Amino acid sequence: MNHSYTVIAYFIYLPIALLLTWYVAQTLFRNGLVFMRDIFFGREEIAKATNSLFKIGFYLLNIGFALYILQIYDTLNGVQGIIEVLSSKIGGFSIYLGIMLFFNLFLFFRGKKVAKQKHNEQLAVQNLATPDK
Amino acid sequence: MNYNVPAYIVYLILTVFMIVFVGKYFYRNGRVFILGLMKGEEATTDHLNNILLVAYYLFNIGYAFVKLHFWQRIDKLETLVSSIAHHMSVLIFILASTHYMNMVLIWWLSRSKKSSLTIKSFQS
Repeated sequence: MNHSYTVIAYFIYLPIALLLTWYVAQTLFRNGLVFMRDIFFGREEIAKATNSLFKIGFYLLNIGFALYILQIYDTLNGVQGIIEVLSSKIGGFSIYLGIMLFFNLFLFFRGKKVAKQKHNEQLAVQNLATPDK
Repeated sequence: MNYNVPAYIVYLILTVFMIVFVGKYFYRNGRVFILGLMKGEEATTDHLNNILLVAYYLFNIGYAFVKLHFWQRIDKLETLVSSIAHHMSVLIFILASTHYMNMVLIWWLSRSKKSSLTIKSFQS
């Protein structure tokens, strides 16, 4: 009977992990487009393409990690075993997702800062070139 | 009885579907960047994009098939799920790392060539 408990645990774990990844990616990259517009000053298609590329990278990395930690090594006895194993797996996975979320946000803020600096330098150079403007 | 053949079938369907989906996604979103690097030549960009897509399919689907050779023996239902997940996760990690390396490469090329992708040349 041990095998069936492990299979049940796998089939509970998979949808939860995938839905969690989908929800986090959705939340992050709906707001990411705003940052991308700031970074690529009004060039809409490049901002959109970069945002989608970051999004699919996020999906690949996190779904890959979710599948990688799927395997349950110890034999489960009963519902208690399922709950204990799954709570540690899903908890660990959501902490990992939180770290990835903050890492991506850090990248967005950093890109925005660098782009703003370059923009200001450019404006200063243009003002020097044409002082009467 | 062993479950190896069902595992191969499920694995191949899932993997090939995933590789084709991700490839189409890259094909659509990467075009803008190749256009920037090719200085706006539309025809060259489309040819290059098609060739890159086919090369990507050949490499990844080929590697997915090669992995079948190294599969362990499966005699329980739980091993079926966990081995499919393990082999797919390795493939997805390879895709993800290649993808991030490509993005760094695009950023680096566009910086060194001063193409239309960088903020500097766009403003001037």
